[in-house]
Amino acid sequence: MSLPNKRTISNTSNTNHTSSMKKAKSQTVACSVDSAKNGLHHDFNNTNNPDNDVVFDPSSLSLDEDLKTDDSRAPAAANLGRKKAQPPQPAKKLVIKLVKGKPTLPSNFEEDTWAKLKSAIKAIFLKQPDSCDLEKLYQAVNDLCLHKMGGNLYQRIEKECEAHISAALQSLVGQSPDLVVFLSLVERCWQDLCDQMLMIRGIALYLDRTYVKQTPNVRSLWDMGLQLFRKYLSSYSEVEHKTVTGLLRMIERERLGEAVDRTLLNHLLKMFTALGIYTESFEKPFLECTSEFYAAEGMKYMQQSDVPDYLKHVEIRLHEEHERCVLYLDVSTRKPLIATAERQLLERHISAILDKGFTMLMDGHRTEDLQRMYVLFLRVNALESLRQALASYIRRTGHGIVMDEEKDKDMVSSLLEFKASLDTIWEESFYKNEGFCNTIKDAFEHLINLRQNRPAELIAKFLDEKLRAGNKGTSEEELEGTLDKVLVLFRFIQGKDVFEAFYKKDLAKRLLLGKSASIDAEKSMISKLKTECGSQFTNKLEGMFKDIELSKEINESFKQSSQARTKLPSGIEMSVHVLTTGYWPTYPPMDVRLPHELNVYQDIFKEFYLSKYSGRRLMWQNSLGHCVLKAEFPKGKKELAVSLFQTVVLMLFNDAQKLSFQDIRDATGIEDKELRRTLQSLACGKVRVLQKLPKGREVEDDDSFVFNEGFTAPLYRIKVNAIPDEGNSGGEHKHYRESIPGPSISGSPPLLHVDAAIVRIMKTRKVLSHTLLITELFQQLKFPIKPADLKKRIESLIDREYLERDKNNPQIYNYLA
Amino acid sequence: MILFRWHAVASWTWDAQDETCGICRMAFDGCCPDCKLPGDDCPLIWGACNHAFHLHCILKWVNSQTPQAHCPMCRREWQFKG
Repeated sequence: MSLPNKRTISNTSNTNHTSSMKKAKSQTVACSVDSAKNGLHHDFNNTNNPDNDVVFDPSSLSLDEDLKTDDSRAPAAANLGRKKAQPPQPAKKLVIKLVKGKPTLPSNFEEDTWAKLKSAIKAIFLKQPDSCDLEKLYQAVNDLCLHKMGGNLYQRIEKECEAHISAALQSLVGQSPDLVVFLSLVERCWQDLCDQMLMIRGIALYLDRTYVKQTPNVRSLWDMGLQLFRKYLSSYSEVEHKTVTGLLRMIERERLGEAVDRTLLNHLLKMFTALGIYTESFEKPFLECTSEFYAAEGMKYMQQSDVPDYLKHVEIRLHEEHERCVLYLDVSTRKPLIATAERQLLERHISAILDKGFTMLMDGHRTEDLQRMYVLFLRVNALESLRQALASYIRRTGHGIVMDEEKDKDMVSSLLEFKASLDTIWEESFYKNEGFCNTIKDAFEHLINLRQNRPAELIAKFLDEKLRAGNKGTSEEELEGTLDKVLVLFRFIQGKDVFEAFYKKDLAKRLLLGKSASIDAEKSMISKLKTECGSQFTNKLEGMFKDIELSKEINESFKQSSQARTKLPSGIEMSVHVLTTGYWPTYPPMDVRLPHELNVYQDIFKEFYLSKYSGRRLMWQNSLGHCVLKAEFPKGKKELAVSLFQTVVLMLFNDAQKLSFQDIRDATGIEDKELRRTLQSLACGKVRVLQKLPKGREVEDDDSFVFNEGFTAPLYRIKVNAIPDEGNSGGEHKHYRESIPGPSISGSPPLLHVDAAIVRIMKTRKVLSHTLLITELFQQLKFPIKPADLKKRIESLIDREYLERDKNNPQIYNYLA
Repeated sequence: MILFRWHAVASWTWDAQDETCGICRMAFDGCCPDCKLPGDDCPLIWGACNHAFHLHCILKWVNSQTPQAHCPMCRREWQFKG
């Protein structure tokens, strides 16, 4: 090679040149002209003598260097380098003088040069070594271009290339039926073409830089090569078709789990992209193929596997397709490809997936699978379906919990558990989606109010159990947590008044019997209710606590009082809870004839109380009183915790051995039904202090009772449980319902609400028909109420002259201001 | 059989002749219209004439009648009892 030689030449010429250029700046114009002229002259000479050893334009230093490093086969890079290094042309100030006559070209110059180039190009295409130095070839092109023969040269090169490319592609026709082999042949062909075109472009770089650039509508040599390849590829449509089919077949095989040559795929697809036929020739059939493939697969898998497996499979598939895009498909394909896969694998099966697997996943708390489902559904915008499935799942499951009357006992805890599991799923699987949160809330609200007042009652009862003493094993924090959870359910209740009534009743019992586990917990519950429903809701409950505190003070001062010290017979430790009538539940008054001793106690206390608080009336709530008795049985001393009624009955047996039902009734004056229950608790319950003759569960009129001489019990302190009213909680429930329309001075909340609502409506309307009034009332009143009750309230308001019936039409009410 | 500890329960109400307050017409066992809670928070007050009203009600009345207020029920001069 002549490289080192040439390098020195160009180097020196360059240094000369630059130094002279520097000089030119400081020296006179004439001087610079001279040196510049020299340079040009030199150049000119070279073009005249193409046979000379190559001498370069002084500005091509960088090209030289590139040539050296990259070898002469990388003209593209050289091209770039050269562009950068083009020196500023001081042309404006140059005056070029022609010293000799114009040199002429040899007449066969073009033909000769072309022949050389042609043989070189041929050699390149045939992959044969060519005798001619690449450097010389480059110079040849350079010369042709300088002599404005570029156009011709371009056409000749194009023709030459066309012949070869056409031949190359034709050779592929009818080649190997094996698709992989065929594909690698195509790849080989393409790679060769690329290499060859690069080489040709390298040689004819000057052509690309000058003629192609300056002439409009002429492709660069590279593009020309591509265009020719494209042209023949499509004209030998068998080749193109076979290639595309081969590619599709290979991808399908990969989808089916075979290992395929991904590099081959990558190269061929790059080819399609380079040829600009990727979208038309490959992507379209590819997407169709994908669609078909996944349609079939989706159908098959949906039938074969269960939902979690199917979802896993879909996830894997989508991941694979994504990989595919990274590895060999064009980037632009990613979106449509993933969309196609999603559509076929997911979108079409949304409802089937939900029908088949959602309940199972929810029941099994399979948060991971549910999360997968959520993420996948999110991709195809199917969250709404998922949300609906969730809603109907909650309703269905909850319906089972709420409507099963036999499981009333566990309803609240089941609901709490259910809610907790839903919350976990919501947090872990549904990414705390707000819409889903609302769905859960809505569904729960629906559930809780399915059965009118029953859930409210059960929630109150549940709280009672939690707040009642003897609930061992739960720490304060746990209790607090439970209360908070229950409060969530409470929020869903529409009939909050019903809840209040039941809660109040239970609270009263806890407070009066001293059964509350912790006053702190009670107060914390009250404050929770207060934040939830406002102070209006809890005022009375708080009043109950106040009464209890106040009662303690009263008892203290009673003990210290002169009345107690002087008049009170000793022996009985008495404490009294004084209740403010309006705060507490209303208790039906119960008559009882107390032993004289107790009457004395009561009278003394009453005297004391009324002296302290004038203007009041004190009423004894004997049904709520309870006592502790010391009893001496033949087989041991016992302490009995009993109600006042039980006490009164038992005291009778101090003076008599055997008493008939009639006797007891006459002596105590306790109301018949109540007495029967009292006797039942003493003689037929777990703890039998009395014996009934004859034996039996029910107390009959002719029964008689004797003191149980043989009474034994393992413990010293014994509680004699009372038989609950009506025997079950359903009775209490009924009792509450019946109490709504009853005349009650303290006014249970619903009554006041109803009255207030009626007056409010009538005040705005002045005149309204019965039907319209009732309709409007149902809209305004948030708690369930029977029309008959409303009617009674209207009657009552008419009595109190808030309203009157129209004189002409009794169906119409007038408001009386 | 000896009774030695007794928790009794009693409830109190206002001891007035009427059921309702003569001013606000609300039950004495309820409260005056300005209050939310009956009982100690909304006490009754008796006049020298032995008519009872919600304290809040009669105070409003007395303050509106200058210089001398009369019992809304019997028109006698209003004096707080006791």
